[in-house]
Amino acid sequence: MNAVATVGLLVQRTGACGLFFFDCLRSTARNGVRWDRVMEEASKVGFRSFFVLATMAIFVGTNLAIQGSAAFATLGAKSLVGMFVALGGVREVCPLLAGTMVAAKAGTEMTAQLAVMRTKDQIDALEVMGVDPRAELITPPLLAILITLPALTMISVAIALASAVLVAVFQLGLDYGQFMDWLIRNITVFDLAAAMIKSVCFAFVIAIVSGYFGFFSERGPAGVGRATNRAVVTMCIVSITLNFFLTTVLYG
Amino acid sequence: MGEEAPVIRFRNVSKSFGDKAVLRDVSLDIPRGRTTVIIGPSGTGKSVLVKMLVGLLEPDSGAIWVDDVDVAQASERQLFALRRKFGMLFQDGALFDSLTVGENIAFPLRRHTRMADDAIDAAVALRLEQVGLPGIEELMPAELSGGMRKRVSLARAVVMEPEVLIFDEPNSGLDPITSDEIDALIGRMKVELGITFVVISHDIVGTFAVADRIGMLYNGGLVALGTPDEVLRSTEPIVRRFLDRNMDLPPVGEPG
Repeated sequence: MNAVATVGLLVQRTGACGLFFFDCLRSTARNGVRWDRVMEEASKVGFRSFFVLATMAIFVGTNLAIQGSAAFATLGAKSLVGMFVALGGVREVCPLLAGTMVAAKAGTEMTAQLAVMRTKDQIDALEVMGVDPRAELITPPLLAILITLPALTMISVAIALASAVLVAVFQLGLDYGQFMDWLIRNITVFDLAAAMIKSVCFAFVIAIVSGYFGFFSERGPAGVGRATNRAVVTMCIVSITLNFFLTTVLYG
Repeated sequence: MGEEAPVIRFRNVSKSFGDKAVLRDVSLDIPRGRTTVIIGPSGTGKSVLVKMLVGLLEPDSGAIWVDDVDVAQASERQLFALRRKFGMLFQDGALFDSLTVGENIAFPLRRHTRMADDAIDAAVALRLEQVGLPGIEELMPAELSGGMRKRVSLARAVVMEPEVLIFDEPNSGLDPITSDEIDALIGRMKVELGITFVVISHDIVGTFAVADRIGMLYNGGLVALGTPDEVLRSTEPIVRRFLDRNMDLPPVGEPG
Protein backbone atom coordinates (compact mmCIF):
# COMPACT_ATOMS: atom_id res chain seq x y z
CA MET A 1 0.00 0.00 0.00
CA ASN A 2 1.46 3.39 -0.90
CA ALA A 3 1.64 6.34 1.45
CA VAL A 4 -1.28 8.23 -0.08
CA ALA A 5 -3.57 5.22 0.22
CA THR A 6 -2.48 4.67 3.82
CA VAL A 7 -3.21 8.27 4.76
CA GLY A 8 -6.52 8.08 2.90
CA LEU A 9 -7.49 4.97 4.80
CA LEU A 10 -6.45 6.57 8.08
CA VAL A 11 -8.60 9.63 7.42
CA GLN A 12 -11.53 7.47 6.37
CA ARG A 13 -11.25 5.22 9.43
CA THR A 14 -10.94 8.19 11.76
CA GLY A 15 -14.07 9.69 10.26
CA ALA A 16 -15.90 6.39 10.50
CA CYS A 17 -14.89 5.97 14.16
CA GLY A 18 -16.03 9.53 14.86
CA LEU A 19 -19.42 8.89 13.28
CA PHE A 20 -19.71 5.63 15.15
CA PHE A 21 -18.98 7.42 18.42
CA PHE A 22 -21.60 10.04 17.60
CA ASP A 23 -24.12 7.27 16.84
CA CYS A 24 -23.34 5.61 20.17
CA LEU A 25 -23.85 8.91 22.00
CA ARG A 26 -27.19 9.48 20.28
CA SER A 27 -28.40 5.98 20.96
CA THR A 28 -27.31 6.24 24.59
CA ALA A 29 -29.09 9.57 24.97
CA ARG A 30 -32.23 7.91 23.68
CA ASN A 31 -31.97 4.65 25.62
CA GLY A 32 -30.24 5.66 28.82
CA VAL A 33 -27.18 4.10 30.44
CA ARG A 34 -27.32 0.62 31.93
CA TRP A 35 -25.23 1.31 35.03
CA ASP A 36 -25.41 -2.30 36.21
CA ARG A 37 -23.67 -3.36 32.98
CA VAL A 38 -21.14 -0.51 33.30
CA MET A 39 -20.18 -1.64 36.81
CA GLU A 40 -19.99 -5.26 35.73
CA GLU A 41 -17.69 -4.31 32.83
CA ALA A 42 -15.61 -1.97 34.99
CA SER A 43 -14.87 -4.67 37.53
CA LYS A 44 -13.97 -7.05 34.70
CA VAL A 45 -11.62 -4.53 33.06
CA GLY A 46 -10.08 -3.57 36.40
CA PHE A 47 -9.44 -7.05 37.73
CA ARG A 48 -8.32 -8.58 34.47
CA SER A 49 -5.78 -5.89 33.73
CA PHE A 50 -4.59 -5.28 37.26
CA PHE A 51 -2.08 -8.07 37.83
CA VAL A 52 -0.40 -7.88 34.44
CA LEU A 53 -0.26 -4.12 34.73
CA ALA A 54 1.13 -4.27 38.26
CA THR A 55 3.86 -6.68 37.16
CA MET A 56 4.80 -4.47 34.24
CA ALA A 57 4.74 -1.33 36.39
CA ILE A 58 7.14 -2.92 38.90
CA PHE A 59 9.72 -3.56 36.22
CA VAL A 60 9.21 -0.26 34.49
CA GLY A 61 10.06 1.42 37.81
CA THR A 62 13.14 -0.71 38.34
CA ASN A 63 14.49 0.01 34.90
CA LEU A 64 13.83 3.72 35.03
CA ALA A 65 15.91 3.82 38.20
CA ILE A 66 18.74 1.77 36.71
CA GLN A 67 18.84 3.75 33.45
CA GLY A 68 18.64 7.04 35.31
CA SER A 69 21.46 6.01 37.55
CA ALA A 70 23.64 4.87 34.64
CA ALA A 71 23.01 8.06 32.70
CA PHE A 72 23.53 10.52 35.53
CA ALA A 73 26.52 8.73 37.06
CA THR A 74 28.63 9.90 34.12
CA LEU A 75 27.62 13.48 34.97
CA GLY A 76 28.31 12.89 38.63
CA ALA A 77 24.73 13.81 39.42
CA LYS A 78 23.20 10.61 40.80
CA SER A 79 20.79 12.66 42.85
CA LEU A 80 18.92 13.45 39.64
CA VAL A 81 17.77 9.83 39.32
CA GLY A 82 14.68 10.68 41.38
CA MET A 83 13.80 13.42 38.98
CA PHE A 84 14.30 11.15 35.97
CA VAL A 85 12.04 8.50 37.42
CA ALA A 86 9.38 11.05 38.29
CA LEU A 87 9.36 12.73 34.89
CA GLY A 88 9.58 9.57 32.81
CA GLY A 89 7.28 7.45 34.91
CA VAL A 90 4.44 9.82 35.69
CA ARG A 91 4.41 11.91 32.55
CA GLU A 92 5.13 9.36 29.87
CA VAL A 93 5.52 5.69 30.61
CA CYS A 94 2.74 4.88 33.08
CA PRO A 95 -0.20 6.44 31.17
CA LEU A 96 0.93 4.73 27.97
CA LEU A 97 1.65 1.47 29.75
CA ALA A 98 -1.76 1.31 31.40
CA GLY A 99 -3.42 2.30 28.12
CA THR A 100 -1.57 -0.37 26.18
CA MET A 101 -2.41 -3.00 28.77
CA VAL A 102 -6.12 -2.17 28.79
CA ALA A 103 -6.07 -2.05 24.99
CA ALA A 104 -4.44 -5.47 24.88
CA LYS A 105 -6.77 -7.10 27.42
CA ALA A 106 -10.10 -5.30 27.57
CA GLY A 107 -9.94 -3.76 24.09
CA THR A 108 -9.22 -6.93 22.18
CA GLU A 109 -11.77 -8.83 24.21
CA MET A 110 -14.39 -6.23 23.35
CA THR A 111 -13.54 -6.41 19.64
CA ALA A 112 -13.52 -10.20 19.53
CA GLN A 113 -16.77 -10.48 21.45
CA LEU A 114 -18.55 -7.99 19.21
CA ALA A 115 -17.15 -9.64 16.08
CA VAL A 116 -18.39 -13.04 17.24
CA MET A 117 -21.80 -11.52 17.99
CA ARG A 118 -21.85 -10.01 14.50
CA THR A 119 -20.89 -13.35 12.96
CA LYS A 120 -23.56 -15.25 14.87
CA ASP A 121 -26.30 -12.72 13.97
CA GLN A 122 -26.63 -11.71 17.63
CA ILE A 123 -26.27 -7.99 16.85
CA ASP A 124 -28.95 -8.33 14.17
CA ALA A 125 -31.09 -10.22 16.68
CA LEU A 126 -30.85 -7.29 19.11
CA GLU A 127 -31.93 -4.87 16.39
CA VAL A 128 -34.87 -7.02 15.40
CA MET A 129 -35.91 -7.18 19.06
CA GLY A 130 -36.02 -3.39 18.98
CA VAL A 131 -33.01 -3.07 21.28
CA ASP A 132 -30.38 -0.60 20.07
CA PRO A 133 -27.14 -2.62 19.98
CA ARG A 134 -24.93 0.45 20.41
CA ALA A 135 -26.48 1.45 23.73
CA GLU A 136 -26.50 -2.20 24.75
CA LEU A 137 -23.03 -3.31 23.68
CA ILE A 138 -20.76 -0.29 23.22
CA THR A 139 -21.72 2.24 25.88
CA PRO A 140 -21.21 0.03 28.98
CA PRO A 141 -17.62 -1.02 28.12
CA LEU A 142 -16.86 2.53 26.93
CA LEU A 143 -17.86 4.00 30.28
CA ALA A 144 -16.19 1.13 32.11
CA ILE A 145 -12.87 1.82 30.40
CA LEU A 146 -13.29 5.56 31.01
CA ILE A 147 -13.69 4.87 34.71
CA THR A 148 -11.02 2.22 35.16
CA LEU A 149 -8.16 3.41 32.96
CA PRO A 150 -7.38 6.62 34.92
CA ALA A 151 -7.54 4.56 38.12
CA LEU A 152 -5.25 1.91 36.70
CA THR A 153 -2.88 4.63 35.51
CA MET A 154 -2.62 6.08 39.02
CA ILE A 155 -2.08 2.63 40.49
CA SER A 156 0.67 1.89 37.99
CA VAL A 157 2.31 5.24 38.82
CA ALA A 158 2.34 4.32 42.50
CA ILE A 159 3.72 0.85 41.85
CA ALA A 160 6.41 2.03 39.42
CA LEU A 161 7.60 4.75 41.79
CA ALA A 162 7.69 2.33 44.71
CA SER A 163 9.74 -0.22 42.81
CA ALA A 164 12.07 2.53 41.59
CA VAL A 165 12.67 3.65 45.17
CA LEU A 166 13.46 0.09 46.24
CA VAL A 167 15.93 -0.47 43.42
CA ALA A 168 17.51 2.94 43.88
CA VAL A 169 18.10 2.42 47.55
CA PHE A 170 18.84 -1.28 47.88
CA GLN A 171 20.40 -2.15 44.54
CA LEU A 172 22.02 1.10 43.45
CA GLY A 173 22.88 2.30 46.94
CA LEU A 174 21.45 5.80 46.49
CA ASP A 175 20.53 7.93 49.44
CA TYR A 176 16.85 7.48 50.28
CA GLY A 177 16.25 11.02 51.49
CA GLN A 178 17.90 12.66 48.53
CA PHE A 179 16.15 10.37 46.04
CA MET A 180 12.73 11.00 47.53
CA ASP A 181 13.38 14.70 47.70
CA TRP A 182 14.06 14.92 43.96
CA LEU A 183 11.24 12.53 43.20
CA ILE A 184 8.56 14.38 45.10
CA ARG A 185 9.77 17.81 44.06
CA ASN A 186 9.31 16.80 40.43
CA ILE A 187 5.80 15.39 40.63
CA THR A 188 3.33 18.25 40.60
CA VAL A 189 -0.44 18.14 40.75
CA PHE A 190 -0.31 19.26 37.15
CA ASP A 191 1.71 16.15 36.25
CA LEU A 192 -0.84 13.88 37.86
CA ALA A 193 -3.67 15.77 36.18
CA ALA A 194 -1.85 15.51 32.84
CA ALA A 195 -1.47 11.76 33.33
CA MET A 196 -5.21 11.54 34.01
CA ILE A 197 -6.02 13.60 30.92
CA LYS A 198 -3.85 11.30 28.84
CA SER A 199 -5.48 8.21 30.25
CA VAL A 200 -8.98 9.56 29.59
CA CYS A 201 -8.00 10.25 25.98
CA PHE A 202 -6.54 6.76 25.64
CA ALA A 203 -9.71 5.30 27.15
CA PHE A 204 -11.79 6.97 24.43
CA VAL A 205 -9.48 5.71 21.72
CA ILE A 206 -9.46 2.16 23.07
CA ALA A 207 -13.21 1.89 23.54
CA ILE A 208 -14.18 3.51 20.24
CA VAL A 209 -11.60 1.71 18.13
CA SER A 210 -12.29 -1.71 19.65
CA GLY A 211 -16.01 -1.10 19.46
CA TYR A 212 -15.88 0.09 15.86
CA PHE A 213 -13.82 -2.80 14.50
CA GLY A 214 -15.84 -5.40 16.41
CA PHE A 215 -19.23 -3.92 15.59
CA PHE A 216 -18.51 -3.68 11.85
CA SER A 217 -16.50 -6.89 11.64
CA GLU A 218 -16.80 -9.12 8.60
CA ARG A 219 -18.63 -12.33 9.38
CA GLY A 220 -16.87 -15.63 10.02
CA PRO A 221 -13.81 -16.73 12.01
CA ALA A 222 -11.42 -14.94 9.64
CA GLY A 223 -13.44 -11.76 10.13
CA VAL A 224 -13.12 -12.01 13.91
CA GLY A 225 -9.35 -12.44 13.61
CA ARG A 226 -9.00 -9.55 11.19
CA ALA A 227 -11.16 -7.26 13.32
CA THR A 228 -9.11 -7.95 16.47
CA ASN A 229 -5.85 -7.54 14.63
CA ARG A 230 -6.88 -4.24 13.05
CA ALA A 231 -8.21 -2.95 16.35
CA VAL A 232 -4.92 -3.61 18.17
CA VAL A 233 -2.77 -2.09 15.45
CA THR A 234 -5.01 0.97 15.20
CA MET A 235 -5.17 1.44 18.98
CA CYS A 236 -1.37 1.27 19.26
CA ILE A 237 -0.70 3.70 16.41
CA VAL A 238 -3.40 6.15 17.43
CA SER A 239 -2.46 6.08 21.13
CA ILE A 240 1.24 6.64 20.57
CA THR A 241 0.60 9.43 18.06
CA LEU A 242 -1.96 11.00 20.34
CA ASN A 243 0.55 10.78 23.18
CA PHE A 244 2.96 12.93 21.19
CA PHE A 245 0.31 15.59 20.62
CA LEU A 246 -0.84 15.49 24.22
CA THR A 247 2.71 15.86 25.50
CA THR A 248 3.23 18.73 23.07
CA VAL A 249 0.10 20.51 24.23
CA LEU A 250 0.61 19.81 27.95
CA TYR A 251 4.39 20.27 28.19
CA GLY A 252 5.64 21.60 24.87
CA MET B 1 -58.82 -13.98 7.53
CA GLY B 2 -57.20 -14.28 4.13
CA GLU B 3 -59.47 -11.57 2.75
CA GLU B 4 -57.95 -8.88 4.97
CA ALA B 5 -55.40 -6.44 3.57
CA PRO B 6 -51.97 -8.05 3.34
CA VAL B 7 -49.77 -7.27 6.33
CA ILE B 8 -46.62 -6.87 4.23
CA ARG B 9 -46.33 -5.53 0.70
CA PHE B 10 -43.07 -5.50 -1.21
CA ARG B 11 -43.35 -3.05 -4.11
CA ASN B 12 -40.76 -3.04 -6.91
CA VAL B 13 -37.93 -3.76 -4.52
CA SER B 14 -34.40 -3.92 -5.92
CA LYS B 15 -31.12 -4.50 -4.13
CA SER B 16 -27.56 -4.86 -5.36
CA PHE B 17 -24.28 -5.51 -3.65
CA GLY B 18 -21.54 -3.96 -5.76
CA ASP B 19 -22.43 -4.86 -9.35
CA LYS B 20 -24.31 -7.97 -8.30
CA ALA B 21 -28.06 -7.41 -8.50
CA VAL B 22 -29.50 -9.67 -5.81
CA LEU B 23 -33.14 -8.65 -6.15
CA ARG B 24 -34.67 -7.01 -9.21
CA ASP B 25 -38.02 -5.27 -9.06
CA VAL B 26 -39.64 -7.77 -6.72
CA SER B 27 -43.28 -7.21 -5.71
CA LEU B 28 -44.91 -9.56 -3.26
CA ASP B 29 -47.82 -9.53 -0.81
CA ILE B 30 -47.68 -11.44 2.46
CA PRO B 31 -51.25 -12.14 3.64
CA ARG B 32 -52.11 -11.66 7.27
CA GLY B 33 -52.46 -14.71 9.48
CA ARG B 34 -51.09 -17.07 6.84
CA THR B 35 -47.81 -18.84 6.30
CA THR B 36 -45.86 -17.66 3.30
CA VAL B 37 -42.76 -19.59 2.37
CA ILE B 38 -40.09 -18.10 0.13
CA ILE B 39 -38.04 -20.80 -1.55
CA GLY B 40 -35.18 -20.75 -3.99
CA PRO B 41 -31.61 -21.89 -4.39
CA SER B 42 -28.93 -20.41 -2.12
CA GLY B 43 -27.72 -16.96 -3.02
CA THR B 44 -30.96 -15.81 -4.62
CA GLY B 45 -31.64 -13.08 -2.13
CA LYS B 46 -34.10 -14.83 0.18
CA SER B 47 -32.26 -13.73 3.31
CA VAL B 48 -31.76 -10.26 1.82
CA LEU B 49 -35.52 -10.01 1.35
CA VAL B 50 -36.29 -10.65 5.04
CA LYS B 51 -33.38 -8.53 6.23
CA MET B 52 -34.87 -5.63 4.31
CA LEU B 53 -38.26 -6.41 5.79
CA VAL B 54 -36.97 -5.94 9.33
CA GLY B 55 -34.84 -2.94 8.35
CA LEU B 56 -31.43 -4.58 8.72
CA LEU B 57 -30.73 -3.75 5.07
CA GLU B 58 -32.08 -0.91 2.98
CA PRO B 59 -33.45 -1.55 -0.50
CA ASP B 60 -31.83 0.44 -3.33
CA SER B 61 -35.29 1.24 -4.66
CA GLY B 62 -38.90 0.28 -4.05
CA ALA B 63 -41.06 0.23 -0.95
CA ILE B 64 -41.73 -2.33 1.76
CA TRP B 65 -45.00 -1.64 3.50
CA VAL B 66 -45.72 -3.18 6.87
CA ASP B 67 -49.32 -2.19 7.53
CA ASP B 68 -49.11 1.53 6.77
CA VAL B 69 -45.37 2.16 7.36
CA ASP B 70 -42.77 1.97 4.60
CA VAL B 71 -39.77 0.28 6.19
CA ALA B 72 -37.46 1.75 3.57
CA GLN B 73 -38.46 5.32 4.51
CA ALA B 74 -38.93 4.79 8.25
CA SER B 75 -36.91 6.86 10.72
CA GLU B 76 -34.76 4.98 13.18
CA ARG B 77 -37.34 5.58 15.88
CA GLN B 78 -40.18 4.27 13.70
CA LEU B 79 -38.06 1.29 12.78
CA PHE B 80 -37.44 0.28 16.38
CA ALA B 81 -41.17 0.59 17.06
CA LEU B 82 -42.03 -1.37 13.95
CA ARG B 83 -39.68 -4.18 14.89
CA ARG B 84 -41.78 -4.91 17.95
CA LYS B 85 -44.29 -6.43 15.54
CA PHE B 86 -41.69 -8.94 14.41
CA GLY B 87 -40.20 -12.02 15.94
CA MET B 88 -37.33 -13.59 14.06
CA LEU B 89 -35.69 -16.97 14.18
CA PHE B 90 -32.15 -16.61 12.85
CA GLN B 91 -30.32 -19.39 11.03
CA ASP B 92 -28.15 -20.46 13.92
CA GLY B 93 -30.49 -19.19 16.60
CA ALA B 94 -28.48 -16.05 17.43
CA LEU B 95 -28.86 -16.75 21.15
CA PHE B 96 -26.69 -14.56 23.38
CA ASP B 97 -23.77 -16.75 24.47
CA SER B 98 -23.22 -15.08 27.81
CA LEU B 99 -26.82 -15.52 28.98
CA THR B 100 -28.60 -18.70 30.05
CA VAL B 101 -31.49 -20.08 28.03
CA GLY B 102 -33.94 -18.54 30.49
CA GLU B 103 -32.24 -15.13 30.39
CA ASN B 104 -32.21 -15.27 26.60
CA ILE B 105 -35.94 -15.78 26.41
CA ALA B 106 -36.58 -13.22 29.14
CA PHE B 107 -34.36 -10.63 27.43
CA PRO B 108 -37.02 -8.88 25.28
CA LEU B 109 -39.46 -8.87 28.20
CA ARG B 110 -36.91 -7.27 30.50
CA ARG B 111 -36.07 -4.63 27.91
CA HIS B 112 -39.55 -3.74 26.75
CA THR B 113 -41.96 -4.48 29.60
CA ARG B 114 -42.23 -3.78 33.29
CA MET B 115 -43.30 -7.33 34.11
CA ALA B 116 -42.42 -8.65 37.56
CA ASP B 117 -39.77 -11.35 37.85
CA ASP B 118 -42.27 -14.14 38.61
CA ALA B 119 -44.39 -13.19 35.63
CA ILE B 120 -41.29 -13.24 33.42
CA ASP B 121 -40.23 -16.63 34.80
CA ALA B 122 -43.71 -17.97 34.12
CA ALA B 123 -43.68 -16.60 30.57
CA VAL B 124 -40.26 -18.17 29.94
CA ALA B 125 -41.40 -21.54 31.31
CA LEU B 126 -44.54 -21.42 29.18
CA ARG B 127 -42.61 -20.66 25.99
CA LEU B 128 -40.07 -23.41 26.67
CA GLU B 129 -42.94 -25.82 27.19
CA GLN B 130 -44.47 -24.64 23.94
CA VAL B 131 -41.30 -25.49 21.98
CA GLY B 132 -40.98 -28.85 23.72
CA LEU B 133 -38.02 -28.08 25.98
CA PRO B 134 -39.48 -27.55 29.45
CA GLY B 135 -37.16 -26.93 32.38
CA ILE B 136 -33.93 -26.05 30.59
CA GLU B 137 -33.80 -22.40 31.76
CA GLU B 138 -30.43 -22.79 33.45
CA LEU B 139 -28.53 -24.28 30.49
CA MET B 140 -26.11 -22.13 28.49
CA PRO B 141 -26.54 -21.87 24.70
CA ALA B 142 -23.20 -23.66 24.17
CA GLU B 143 -24.67 -26.74 25.87
CA LEU B 144 -27.52 -27.03 23.36
CA SER B 145 -27.67 -29.04 20.14
CA GLY B 146 -28.45 -27.26 16.86
CA GLY B 147 -32.10 -28.26 16.99
CA MET B 148 -32.46 -27.16 20.61
CA ARG B 149 -30.87 -23.80 19.82
CA LYS B 150 -33.49 -23.21 17.14
CA ARG B 151 -36.28 -24.16 19.51
CA VAL B 152 -35.01 -21.83 22.22
CA SER B 153 -34.60 -19.10 19.65
CA LEU B 154 -38.19 -19.71 18.58
CA ALA B 155 -39.30 -19.41 22.19
CA ARG B 156 -37.47 -16.08 22.42
CA ALA B 157 -38.96 -14.90 19.12
CA VAL B 158 -42.55 -15.49 20.28
CA VAL B 159 -42.23 -14.29 23.87
CA MET B 160 -43.24 -10.73 22.94
CA GLU B 161 -46.26 -12.07 21.05
CA PRO B 162 -45.25 -10.68 17.66
CA GLU B 163 -47.70 -10.15 14.82
CA VAL B 164 -45.29 -11.55 12.27
CA LEU B 165 -42.86 -14.41 12.86
CA ILE B 166 -39.95 -14.75 10.46
CA PHE B 167 -37.97 -17.96 10.06
CA ASP B 168 -34.63 -17.68 8.29
CA GLU B 169 -33.77 -21.17 7.04
CA PRO B 170 -35.24 -23.05 10.00
CA ASN B 171 -33.84 -26.35 8.72
CA SER B 172 -30.33 -25.30 7.81
CA GLY B 173 -27.60 -27.28 9.52
CA LEU B 174 -29.97 -29.87 10.95
CA ASP B 175 -30.06 -33.61 10.37
CA PRO B 176 -33.19 -34.90 8.56
CA ILE B 177 -34.90 -36.15 11.73
CA THR B 178 -34.36 -32.94 13.70
CA SER B 179 -35.35 -31.05 10.59
CA ASP B 180 -38.68 -32.90 10.48
CA GLU B 181 -39.21 -32.14 14.16
CA ILE B 182 -38.66 -28.44 13.53
CA ASP B 183 -41.13 -28.55 10.62
CA ALA B 184 -43.67 -30.24 12.89
CA LEU B 185 -43.05 -27.59 15.53
CA ILE B 186 -43.57 -24.80 12.99
CA GLY B 187 -46.81 -26.47 11.91
CA ARG B 188 -48.00 -26.67 15.52
CA MET B 189 -47.01 -23.09 16.33
CA LYS B 190 -48.85 -21.94 13.23
CA VAL B 191 -52.08 -23.42 14.57
CA GLU B 192 -51.49 -22.30 18.19
CA LEU B 193 -50.49 -18.72 17.42
CA GLY B 194 -52.54 -17.98 14.31
CA ILE B 195 -50.20 -15.14 13.31
CA THR B 196 -48.43 -14.34 10.07
CA PHE B 197 -45.44 -16.56 9.33
CA VAL B 198 -42.76 -15.77 6.79
CA VAL B 199 -40.45 -18.71 6.19
CA ILE B 200 -37.28 -18.59 4.13
CA SER B 201 -36.26 -22.05 3.09
CA HIS B 202 -34.57 -24.23 0.54
CA ASP B 203 -36.06 -27.31 2.16
CA ILE B 204 -38.91 -28.19 -0.19
CA VAL B 205 -40.47 -31.07 1.70
CA GLY B 206 -40.82 -29.03 4.88
CA THR B 207 -42.08 -26.08 2.87
CA PHE B 208 -45.05 -27.90 1.44
CA ALA B 209 -45.98 -29.21 4.86
CA VAL B 210 -46.47 -25.75 6.39
CA ALA B 211 -47.05 -23.30 3.55
CA ASP B 212 -50.32 -21.57 2.71
CA ARG B 213 -48.52 -19.70 -0.01
CA ILE B 214 -45.20 -20.25 -1.71
CA GLY B 215 -43.05 -17.78 -3.58
CA MET B 216 -39.98 -18.89 -5.45
CA LEU B 217 -37.06 -16.53 -5.98
CA TYR B 218 -34.59 -17.21 -8.73
CA ASN B 219 -31.98 -14.99 -10.25
CA GLY B 220 -33.23 -11.91 -8.41
CA GLY B 221 -36.87 -12.26 -9.39
CA LEU B 222 -40.02 -14.01 -8.31
CA VAL B 223 -40.56 -16.95 -10.69
CA ALA B 224 -43.54 -18.53 -8.96
CA LEU B 225 -46.14 -17.41 -6.46
CA GLY B 226 -49.28 -19.13 -5.31
CA THR B 227 -50.72 -21.91 -3.18
CA PRO B 228 -48.60 -25.05 -2.83
CA ASP B 229 -50.84 -26.77 -5.38
CA GLU B 230 -50.45 -23.97 -7.88
CA VAL B 231 -46.69 -23.96 -7.48
CA LEU B 232 -46.52 -27.75 -7.78
CA ARG B 233 -48.37 -27.52 -11.09
CA SER B 234 -46.12 -24.76 -12.41
CA THR B 235 -44.66 -25.44 -15.81
CA GLU B 236 -41.93 -22.83 -15.45
CA PRO B 237 -38.76 -24.82 -16.26
CA ILE B 238 -36.67 -23.45 -13.41
CA VAL B 239 -39.43 -24.13 -10.88
CA ARG B 240 -39.75 -27.68 -12.20
CA ARG B 241 -36.02 -28.25 -11.98
CA PHE B 242 -35.90 -27.01 -8.39
CA LEU B 243 -38.98 -28.95 -7.24
CA ASP B 244 -38.22 -32.21 -9.05
CA ARG B 245 -34.70 -32.41 -7.76
CA ASN B 246 -35.68 -31.59 -4.22
CA MET B 247 -38.79 -33.73 -3.99
CA ASP B 248 -37.26 -36.74 -5.75
CA LEU B 249 -40.05 -36.60 -8.29
CA PRO B 250 -39.32 -38.09 -11.66
CA PRO B 251 -38.57 -35.39 -14.20
CA VAL B 252 -41.72 -34.16 -15.90
CA GLY B 253 -42.62 -36.25 -18.93
CA GLU B 254 -41.05 -39.47 -17.78
CA PRO B 255 -43.24 -42.31 -16.58
CA GLY B 256 -43.31 -42.24 -12.82
